[in-house]
Amino acid sequence: MFHPKKPPSMINAHERPVCVQGDSGLVLTTDPKPRLRWTVELHERFVDAVTQLGGPDKATPKTIMRVMGVKGLTLYHLKSHLQKFRLGKQPHKELSDHSMKDASWIELQRNNIASSSGMLGRSMNEMQMEVNRRLHEQLEVQKHLQLRIEAQGKYMQAILEKACQTLAGENMASAATASGSFNKMPPNIGTETSGMKDFWPPVNFPTIQDLNIYGTTDHQLEQQLQRTSSMDSFIPSINNNDSNFLTKKRPNPYSNSNGKSPLVWADDLRLQELGAAAASCNIDDAQIHPAPQFTIDKGSNIGPVGDHIYETKPVLSGDQTALREKKFKAGKLENCPSPRHMVERMNHQAISAGGVTTQGRNSPFG
Amino acid sequence: MAMLMDLDFTNFGYSATTATTTTTATTTASASTDDGCNWNAWSPVVDWEALSSGQEDFHNLVDSMMDESDLLHNLNVRPNTDEECHDLYSPERYATVTDDESNSMEDFKGMRLIHLLMAAAEALEGRSKCRELARVILVRLRELVSPKEGTNMERLAAYFTDALQGLLDGVTTGGVHGKCRSHHHYKAEHHPADVLAAFQLLQDVSPYVKFGHFTANQAILDAVTHDKRVHIVDYDIMEGIQWASLMQALVSRKDGPPTPHLRITALSRGGGGRRSFSTVQGTGRRLTAFAASIGQPFSFHQCRLDPDETFKPSNLKLVRGEALVINCMLHLPHFSHRAPNSIASFMAGAKTLCPRLITLVEEEMGPTEDEGFVGRFMDTLHHYSAMYDSLEAGFPTQGRARALVERVLLAPRISESLDRIYHGRGEDEGCSWGQRLAADGFCPINISFANHCQANLLIGLYNDGYRVEELGINKLVLGWKTRSLLSVSIWSSKDNDL
Repeated sequence: MFHPKKPPSMINAHERPVCVQGDSGLVLTTDPKPRLRWTVELHERFVDAVTQLGGPDKATPKTIMRVMGVKGLTLYHLKSHLQKFRLGKQPHKELSDHSMKDASWIELQRNNIASSSGMLGRSMNEMQMEVNRRLHEQLEVQKHLQLRIEAQGKYMQAILEKACQTLAGENMASAATASGSFNKMPPNIGTETSGMKDFWPPVNFPTIQDLNIYGTTDHQLEQQLQRTSSMDSFIPSINNNDSNFLTKKRPNPYSNSNGKSPLVWADDLRLQELGAAAASCNIDDAQIHPAPQFTIDKGSNIGPVGDHIYETKPVLSGDQTALREKKFKAGKLENCPSPRHMVERMNHQAISAGGVTTQGRNSPFG
Repeated sequence: MAMLMDLDFTNFGYSATTATTTTTATTTASASTDDGCNWNAWSPVVDWEALSSGQEDFHNLVDSMMDESDLLHNLNVRPNTDEECHDLYSPERYATVTDDESNSMEDFKGMRLIHLLMAAAEALEGRSKCRELARVILVRLRELVSPKEGTNMERLAAYFTDALQGLLDGVTTGGVHGKCRSHHHYKAEHHPADVLAAFQLLQDVSPYVKFGHFTANQAILDAVTHDKRVHIVDYDIMEGIQWASLMQALVSRKDGPPTPHLRITALSRGGGGRRSFSTVQGTGRRLTAFAASIGQPFSFHQCRLDPDETFKPSNLKLVRGEALVINCMLHLPHFSHRAPNSIASFMAGAKTLCPRLITLVEEEMGPTEDEGFVGRFMDTLHHYSAMYDSLEAGFPTQGRARALVERVLLAPRISESLDRIYHGRGEDEGCSWGQRLAADGFCPINISFANHCQANLLIGLYNDGYRVEELGINKLVLGWKTRSLLSVSIWSSKDNDL
C-alpha cells in the first residue's frame, strides 16, 4: 500500500528522500523520527480550514484538526504549522523546525499568500505594525464596551424609575389591603410586589459595609426600615455574591493606567443616579417600600410573611435576616464606601492572583 | 430527606415483581418505616388494570430504576475526577463521583430525577394508556422536587414536572401565550415589577442579554459605517434596551459621516402585556427621550402586525438612501417564544425588503432533526440545566434571587419549549432560524475582529465558565462550559454589497 511520493520541487537534498504515504493520505518520512511532510495538498487543505475558521488568528489547532478531518494529523503537527503560518507569510530565517526550514515552506506560502488574512507584508516591521494595530483596536473595543454598558445602564435606570413610580401608585392603593394579602401559592401580586421591589435597582458592585450586616437584630432592622429610601435593593445579596466574586481571580480587562476600573466608575455614575432617582422617587417611605407589611407583621410574628417569601421556612434563618436588613440599607449612598475601594481591591487581587495569565484571554491572537 | 429516598428506593426494588405495580407508586409522602407495598394508599385514580397491558414498558422502566441500585454502588466504588468528565451536561455527569458522600448522594438524586423525567417523557410520548403512568410518575416527581429549594437539578426538575403536567392535562394549542395550568406559576401573570426585577438580576449576573445586544449592535455598526441614515426594524423591541448602547455608539463614532439619523420601527401586536401597542409606545417615548439626551437624531415608528402576526412589509415606511437593518432577537432568556409562523412571516417579509443586514439572536439547541419527543426533551433539559448552572455561578448564595429569575423568566420558557416540541410543531424546528435564513438565500456576513473581541471582553466580566466561540464566519455562540446556549448570527441579502 505504500508508494513513495515525490512532490515536485519539494525534495531538499539533505532531507531523506524517501517518503511514504500512509493510508490516511499523510506523507510521512522514513527517517528514525517520522515527520510529517506538509505537501501542497495538505497545506492547501490546511489553509482552507484556517480561512474557514476565520483566519490564522481565530483558528486553533483543535478546530483546524476538526475541520480538516485528516486522520493521523495530530495537534502537534498543527500547532507548529499554524505558528509558522501566523508568523510569516514572509519566510523568516529563524524558523527552526527542520522539516520546514527549506524552500518548500516558501513554496507553500507563495501558493497560498492570497488566502491568508492580515499580514501581507514582507518585513518584520509590517508584522510589528499589525500587532500594534490589533492591540490598539482591542483597547478601543474595551473603551467602547465600557461606554456602551454605561449607556445601557442609564437607560435601565430610566425604566426602573418609571416602574418605581408606577409601583408607588399601586402601592398606595394596595397598602390598605396589605395585611389581607398574604397567601401562599400562587404568589399573590400584592405580596410579590412588596417582596420583589427588594430586588432592584441592583448595583453591580457591593458596598463593604453591607456585607457585614449579618447578625444584626430585628430591632435594628426596624430602625433601618424607618430610615431607608424607596429604592430598596436586593442587591445586598448580590453584594454578598460579589464578595466571593472579588476573592476570585478575575481577568480585569478594564484596568486603566490609574488602576481603577472604568467599569466601576460607570457604576459610580449609576450609584449617583440611583441616589437622585431614589430621592425623586421617594414619595413616601411608609408606603413605597415594604416596610408597612413587614413592620405590621413584625409586631405579631414574622411567620406568615417569612413563610411565604422566604421559602417556607417558619423561622428566618440568619442570612435571610441579613438579606432583609441589607436590602433596606443599600439604598443609602452615604453609608457606602466608594466602589473604587472595591475595585482596587479586586484589581489588586486580580493582579496578585496572576492577572498576567488571565490577560492572555483577551489577547487578540487567541 | 435522604432517609425517605432510601426507603423509596427499596420500594422500587420490591414492587417490581408485581404485575400491576409501578415503581413510582408511593403516593404517600410519609416516610414510613415499613416497606411500601401498601396498596390501600395508592392513588385510586389510577386504573391499575389498564396499566397492565403496558407491562413491557413497566419492566423496562422498572429495570431502569433498578439500575440505580447498581449506580449507587458504582458511585461509591468508582473514583473519578472532574477533569475526566468532559461533557458535564449529560446524565453521565451525575455518575462522576467524588469521595464526598453528600456529593454522590446529591448526584444520585439528580440522576434519579433525570430518570424519572425521562420516564415521564417517554410515557407521554407513548400510547394514551401510558398517560396514566406519566401521571403517576409526575406525582412522584412532585414529591421529590421543589421549585425553591434544593439543588439546581431539583428546582429544574420542578419546572419540568410542571411543564409535563401541563402537557398531560391537555394544554391548549399553546402558541404564543400557552398557558401552563400548574399551580406553581402563571405565565402571563407575573407582576411587571417581578419581571423587571428578574430581568435586572439576569442581566447583572449573566452575560446573555448583553452578549446578544452588543454583538448585534456591533454588527450593525460595522455595516453602516458610511451611512447617514439607518433604519432598524425590530421584531420584538420589548423595552428597547438594546438600542441605548447602539445610540451611544453611533453618537461617538469617529470614522465615516457624523452621527447618522436613526430610525427605529418596532413591531407591535394586539393584546396586552409586554408587547402590546401601548408598551411599545412607551418604549418609543423612552428611546426618544434617551436619544435626545445624548444628541442622537432619532425617530420612532410602530408597525402593527395583523392579529395572526403576519408581517406585511408594505406597512413599513421606507426612506430612500437609508440602510435597512432587521433585528431579530428571538430567544434571549427574558423573552418568551414567538410563534414560528410569526417569525417565518417576518423573515419572508424581510427578504422582500432586501435589507443591508439581518441580526439574529436565537438559542442553540442540539441537533435534533430526527429525534422524537424524548430526545428533544432531554436536549431541552440539558439546555436549561446548563443555564441554571450558569445562573448559580452568577449568584451562588442567593437562592431566593435565583429562584425569582427561574420562576419568572425561565419557567415559562421551559413550558413553552416543551409545549412546542410536544405538539409537533417541531417539524419546523429541526433546523434553526439561522439555517432557514441560509436556505432562504441570505448570505452570511463576517463577524469582525472588534466584535469577537468585544464578546470575549464582555464574558470576561462574568464567571469563567462562559465561553464565546465563533462558528462559521457569521456566528458567535455563547455557551456555558460545554453547552452552547445562545448564538448571534449575521446575514445579508444577496443583492446588497456591503
